[in-house]
Amino acid sequence: MIEISNVRAKYPGGEGLDMINLSVKPGEFVYLIGPSGAGKSSVLKLIYMDIFPQSGYVKVDGYNSLTIKKRQIPYLRRRLGIIFQDFKLLTDRTVYDNVAFSLHVTNTRRQEIKRRVLRVLAEVGLSHLRSKMSFELSGGEQQRVAIARALVNEPIILLADEITGNLDPASEEEIVDLLEKINAKGTAILMATHDDRLVRGRNRKIVKIIKGRTL
Amino acid sequence: MFSGIIYSIAEGLRGLRRARFSTTVSVFTIFLSLIIIAFFLIVIFNVRFIVLQIQSRMELEAFIDASFSEEQIEILKSQIEDLQGIEQVNYISKEKAAEIFREQVGHDIFEILDENPLPASFQIRLKPEYRSAALAKQVFENILSLDGIDEIIYRHDLLVLLEKYMHIFMLIIASLGGLLALSSIILVSNTIKLVIFSRRKIIEIMKLVGATRGFIRRPYIVEGIFQGFFGGGLAALFVYFVLKIVNIEIPDLILIDQRIYWVLVLLGIIFGFMGSIIALRKFLRY
Repeated sequence: MIEISNVRAKYPGGEGLDMINLSVKPGEFVYLIGPSGAGKSSVLKLIYMDIFPQSGYVKVDGYNSLTIKKRQIPYLRRRLGIIFQDFKLLTDRTVYDNVAFSLHVTNTRRQEIKRRVLRVLAEVGLSHLRSKMSFELSGGEQQRVAIARALVNEPIILLADEITGNLDPASEEEIVDLLEKINAKGTAILMATHDDRLVRGRNRKIVKIIKGRTL
Repeated sequence: MFSGIIYSIAEGLRGLRRARFSTTVSVFTIFLSLIIIAFFLIVIFNVRFIVLQIQSRMELEAFIDASFSEEQIEILKSQIEDLQGIEQVNYISKEKAAEIFREQVGHDIFEILDENPLPASFQIRLKPEYRSAALAKQVFENILSLDGIDEIIYRHDLLVLLEKYMHIFMLIIASLGGLLALSSIILVSNTIKLVIFSRRKIIEIMKLVGATRGFIRRPYIVEGIFQGFFGGGLAALFVYFVLKIVNIEIPDLILIDQRIYWVLVLLGIIFGFMGSIIALRKFLRY
């Protein structure tokens, strides 16, 4: 489903990626572990094609970094769910509107939006907070909204970039448990983190990355 | 698709409200530029009208060989009428020429001379498209080459002069108008740039969740078009009322082509559209 093969990439403001090899199969849960600055975020950017390899290739759900056209990138991203440490929520909108936003921009019909948003909010346990403004929520709740927004497009994989970085330990566990639950329903997950503790005892595939190289 | 267009228009209008101050500035700039451009257009229209009037009064006077009989003159007249660029040919006989002389000078020619020296002639009016210096000269040469035409008088130098000054005048007006248009477009582009900057977070999220390039860009284009439409509409209203007042004070002073109001609105929309396209090219590469 996702294959990154022998990728080197340089980009402004970073060390660059030296040799990346990574694959994620449908339904798999993979941890990408490495210290800050090792290139974890860049690997995720390769997948959602925000940066491109200088050598090697990235294949995602039938799209190939060597052949993809610029205008196809939005359609690739609709197949992915992306979550960040800083949530990237719209603070002037409610929980419901934040989640609905990703369906609005993909021209989904209003009735369909309502159905899917309410379903995904129930899935992440936020139905009761749907009318709250996003800034009124705790960090853990905000991250759940971000997960709901990423899930509402029914992606083939969730890409999670240090998503527990701004959370207290209790919320961290909750979020990882939520991802486990989502994964159990069939959505693949690639979670980048510097925190080894999160991985311990979870018995998942782990890919280590150090100085732009996967080990 | 339909909901996408509604979204773009709604977002465009929301953008106008969000950036009220800069929107007002660019609407006002378009308004001012278009008023000055309207002034130029009206001046051009009126000057052009005057030039056309002068050109339409410009006639060629071709003098006929004195030895030609009435039948030969009749044939010569139809030969001239058949030439390209001729609108009308009037025959002025020797007697008619003497009559015109009396009307113009106030004396009978026979009071001054024993005989009538005035030759018979044709007064020739050219078709409007042949009233330029170059084409009039061509017609002039064609007529002169006909057997029986002694001489032709027409104000070639005046035509050349008129065209030359008209050309320089148009060039100056067009350059000033172009500069004004450019400054309007730059200002609109700047306003849109500010809006894009203030909305960079939402744009980033849109990109991440798979919004297409067109979907992200459309609201800003709508915004530019609305700014242009308001600026153009205000300019059209302003010009309409000013001209109404001027025409009440001094009727028939200024000639107006009624299409000018639509031209102003259209120009406003073009300025707004161009401004937003430039801003998007520079600040929203995606």
